[in-house]
Amino acid sequence: MHRLLLMARRLEESFATLHSYHPAVGEEAVVVGAFFGLTAGDYIAPHYRGALAAAYLRGADLRRLIAGVYGKSTAYNQGRFRGDICMPIELNVIGLFSGILGSSVGLAVGAALAMKLRGAPNVVVSTFGEGTSNLGMVHESLNLAASLTLPVVLICQNNQYAMSMSAKASLKCASVADRALGYGIPGVRVEGNDVIAVHAAVQEAVARARSGGGPTLIEALTYRVSGHRSGEQVAYQDPAERRDWQAKDPLRRLQESLCASGLLDGAGIAAVDTAVRSELSAAVQLAQQDPEPAPEVLGLDDVFAPENHQGVVP
Amino acid sequence: MTRLTYQQALVAAIRGEMARDPRVFHMGQDVGATSDGVMNSCKGLAAEFGAGRVIDLPISEAGTVAAGIGAAVAGMRPIVQIMFGEFLSLVMAPLACDAGTIWYRSGGKRSVPMVVRTLFGTGPHRGHPEDFHGWLCSVPGLKVAMPATPRDAKGLMAAAIRDENPVVFFEHMGLYHSVREEVPEEELITPFGVADVKRAGKDITLVAVGLMVQVALRAAAALAKEGIDVEVLDMRTPVPLDKAALVGSVSKTGRLLTLSETWRIGDSMAEAVAVVAEELGGARKIPISRVACAHVPRPFAHNLDKLALPNEAKVIAAAKALLSR
Repeated sequence: MHRLLLMARRLEESFATLHSYHPAVGEEAVVVGAFFGLTAGDYIAPHYRGALAAAYLRGADLRRLIAGVYGKSTAYNQGRFRGDICMPIELNVIGLFSGILGSSVGLAVGAALAMKLRGAPNVVVSTFGEGTSNLGMVHESLNLAASLTLPVVLICQNNQYAMSMSAKASLKCASVADRALGYGIPGVRVEGNDVIAVHAAVQEAVARARSGGGPTLIEALTYRVSGHRSGEQVAYQDPAERRDWQAKDPLRRLQESLCASGLLDGAGIAAVDTAVRSELSAAVQLAQQDPEPAPEVLGLDDVFAPENHQGVVP
Repeated sequence: MTRLTYQQALVAAIRGEMARDPRVFHMGQDVGATSDGVMNSCKGLAAEFGAGRVIDLPISEAGTVAAGIGAAVAGMRPIVQIMFGEFLSLVMAPLACDAGTIWYRSGGKRSVPMVVRTLFGTGPHRGHPEDFHGWLCSVPGLKVAMPATPRDAKGLMAAAIRDENPVVFFEHMGLYHSVREEVPEEELITPFGVADVKRAGKDITLVAVGLMVQVALRAAAALAKEGIDVEVLDMRTPVPLDKAALVGSVSKTGRLLTLSETWRIGDSMAEAVAVVAEELGGARKIPISRVACAHVPRPFAHNLDKLALPNEAKVIAAAKALLSR
């Protein structure tokens, strides 16, 4: 989990000069805590901010993920859509198939419906921002999930900013988790910069979902240390508030806890970091050298799926 | 063979496909045993297949379509009922931007075999008549079906359910209980993208879908008495459009008249006109005319609704004007 958290941090930092990228620096504990420890048949539908780390965690190839960010031919979708938000669905990772927020939460609920109808022992875990939580799609999806008692865990990755809009202005409730009461499902608030706490809360909800207990709404409170996009000036964030949250850095928090309990020391951390950096830089280098998609990837005859195609779930 | 209404034929197709494939399920508002679907659109399905496969849902159109997409990518074959075509406005984000894109944008890794069925057109209860199918025809990755007869209602619905792609299926309320025809009891699959020549003729090609096919046939019969020979083409699926049949017919008749229940701008019939102009224009003069819904929001009062909508008289007048050009 520490290695994944480190990889998430280094991955998010690596696009610091790519202005189209929406980094998740500071929010990595929600990503790792939410999606760690699921079984192979489970589905995830990650928030776009942190989606690469989520897909990596579920077994996606790092080079191919990064190739997607650059629109290269080796990307999972061959460069047909932006690979920073569109994830490899063949790995049961439901990303965004458009630039519209909220749909992935709806798709997550639908995948959970499929699990229930198929009698599969699987669950779906989905994350979304507090900005997205205000969409009608999210409300409808939560109510559908509750009404049908679906095996889905819905997690608000509350980084307190929707572009420039502060959650103080967009939410009148103390926590997005409070809304669970309105759906008649459990609502749980968790410290989003504590990866262990996030993981524990999600796993408790996963166990409930797997055993037929229906959905849970979790709010993991964190902070968007990055700009909305890489390189954005965050003048709208209060400097004192920002400093407070930077002091609660999720990576440092885990490392200090691991050191305090004697599981890891400074040298051990450095060794993991070196390995992560080397894996990442090799993947970035390869992805950047990968060719652009060939003109035939435009796929004029590939807008519709043919009969007997290979994309059918077994 | 048995004589079925349009509604009975639709339900027969869904029953057949649900019995054949356990992955097929049906969900929507009021589709369960209590209501059996608006206008009996789901008659007997819940009783036969149970509440687990015919799932009654709260009013949540957008969430329902998104859930259908999610279920489809996870291995199911959902039939999602959006009660009325007007409500498609509520579902455009997941329908156009997710259902239509997933096959392409996943690099062919997952498809969305989902049918979104919806009722539209002036029917016995007169509500929700709007025909918005033109919106959907421009979206890559969506197919659009608009059957005009009970036979096609059955065959196109079965084909839609077996299709690997999202299909928006428009069911006309004015046809629902009003027409009855012989429909095979056994499996019937009507392929998409194949127009039906309802009436052969040599003077004018008259193109329509849905209820307007009936208007076209009545107008053609009246015109025949005056010696005007109209070929009536039922396009059946606006997407994919049977361009070959269309161009073939107009190259024979030399004149094109389109008939739409929807507004003319962005209508699938406007695309038919464009196809003919591109394929045949220039080489010869091809007079073209369009009869469509008046470009106003659909009015309620009977007389205003009639004024706004196409009818035989308008088609006959347009056909005669076309011949004089």
